[in-house]
Amino acid sequence: MWDLKDKHCIVGIGETEYSQASGRTTRAMAAEAVKRAMDDAGLAAADVDGLLSYHGNDSVSGVRVATDLGIRPNFFMDMSGGSNSTEALTAIAMGLVEHGMCKAVAVYRSMNGYTQVRIGGTGTRGAAPVSGDAVLERPYGWMTPAQRFSMFFMRHMYEYGTKPSQAAMVKVVQSRHASQNPKALMKKRVAVEDVLNSRWIVKPIHLLDCCLETDNSVCFIVTSADRARHLRQRPIYIMSVAPRVCKPHPEEYMQRGHLTETHGVVAREQVFGRAGVTPKDIDVMGCYDAFTWVTLLHLEDYGFCKKGDGGGYVTSGAIQLGGKCPINTSGGQLCEGYTHGISLVVENVRQLRGQADDYCHGWREGKHTYDYSEGHCRQVRDAEISMNMAGGTGSQGSSLILRR
Amino acid sequence: MPMSFEYRGMLINLPDFDRERKEYFEHAAQKKLVVQKCKGCALLRWDPGPACPWCQSLEWTWQQVSGKGTIYSYEIVTHAIQPGFRDWVPYPVALVELDEQRGKPSPDEGVRLITNVVDENFNPEKEENVGIGKRVEVVFLPVAEGVFLPQFKLSKEQPTERVWQFQNV
Repeated sequence: MWDLKDKHCIVGIGETEYSQASGRTTRAMAAEAVKRAMDDAGLAAADVDGLLSYHGNDSVSGVRVATDLGIRPNFFMDMSGGSNSTEALTAIAMGLVEHGMCKAVAVYRSMNGYTQVRIGGTGTRGAAPVSGDAVLERPYGWMTPAQRFSMFFMRHMYEYGTKPSQAAMVKVVQSRHASQNPKALMKKRVAVEDVLNSRWIVKPIHLLDCCLETDNSVCFIVTSADRARHLRQRPIYIMSVAPRVCKPHPEEYMQRGHLTETHGVVAREQVFGRAGVTPKDIDVMGCYDAFTWVTLLHLEDYGFCKKGDGGGYVTSGAIQLGGKCPINTSGGQLCEGYTHGISLVVENVRQLRGQADDYCHGWREGKHTYDYSEGHCRQVRDAEISMNMAGGTGSQGSSLILRR
Repeated sequence: MPMSFEYRGMLINLPDFDRERKEYFEHAAQKKLVVQKCKGCALLRWDPGPACPWCQSLEWTWQQVSGKGTIYSYEIVTHAIQPGFRDWVPYPVALVELDEQRGKPSPDEGVRLITNVVDENFNPEKEENVGIGKRVEVVFLPVAEGVFLPQFKLSKEQPTERVWQFQNV
């Protein structure tokens, strides 16, 4: 029985510049992002006592960041992993706060994803000695996320007739959203043809189907609803979370089972059931968009459309600002910048506060024009409930539902 | 003796303690494609691992398979990340479903493995010849003294199901 609905809040958000030339360490960026989140919430160092981060051997430990900022942790943890980690750590933060082990927990990710450790494993890492599971993969020239994910997308086309031009609409829509985001790395609006004519990475994935390798750090702070009501910002309540939920045979999702289904087929009942809402209630969506196609699969598996209809759904207008359920209103990882997912949660917090930092002069006061033409507004009108779906094509993933 | 060999600029290490993968390559050296078979429930499984995901038995043996299968999914790598593959692009990677144990123990299951699709000379098969549903069979690529890497080539058998090829539209 889920009894944690609305008992915890996200109270502070902070991020560094989205760039491809940070010129500093992940430690320096993490300190800035956590500090900004503390300032946003109105929390001093003595008010924060938990730090949770995730990494791929490319980041800085929570205990280091705590030391830098004068925080004395009652708990810290650096978790290995990617896409689905933000929401999983949120669940852990809730447990820590709920049971009195921590008062307020900072969740962060810091990565020089362009200038230091690129996720695809370029250069010498691509030629590193091979042992263990990789012995049956790398000798076939099969290693990177794009190469691994392609199998799913091809099978989806085979089974459901989905087309690359449909997946491209995810990029097209998010580029429109990014054009309303002063911080976005790629603000230029693109058309379907731009995606289809961009160079191949691995067929069926074009360059513009891929997220943008980025240097950045993002943080948000979780505390109890009781404490949240006395802090600086409007509290954003955590209705439910489904953390790192897996399909059967989680690490052998290719070798067995239905290749086009993601963790969402299992997690959806958990996350919607706990929150007591359905896909129809979601006003703004954060989709883990490592590649355009991932979004399509997750939208299907979480029930925003029928299985196999993702191509039709993303081309229907539903996912853009002004549509039924706009996705990745910041431009997401395809356009704003890749943060391993955490920026997509922070964007939803801004949306629920009514403070999307777009080109509207009054955004800080929640005053928006709702003019979604280029270079204007990206605030979703009256956004009350948001959702994040996170994970790759594999069998593990997370989701999170927030409300204002 | 541990196995170690170089292939396309990568050192591949198969230490003695990695029993499953080392024995797999020892069978490949005799031009045999094998997968694990559970001694508890007799189901075949892949990738090699220490336990049966269906009956949890820790006892298993190797089972030679026919080496015939069908392309379940595929992709064409056009931008090599591993330096040793730069002179090999564009090359196909396929997920091949073996003929053994298709649709068992449940309808969506099978024994699928990652491979390249190569031609008679072990060069990458041309993109226009590769597709989901195409029949393939195992071949053994010599990569070092006494070491063979299992690969798959297109079979002369007629496809038994719908053949599908990628189009950029």
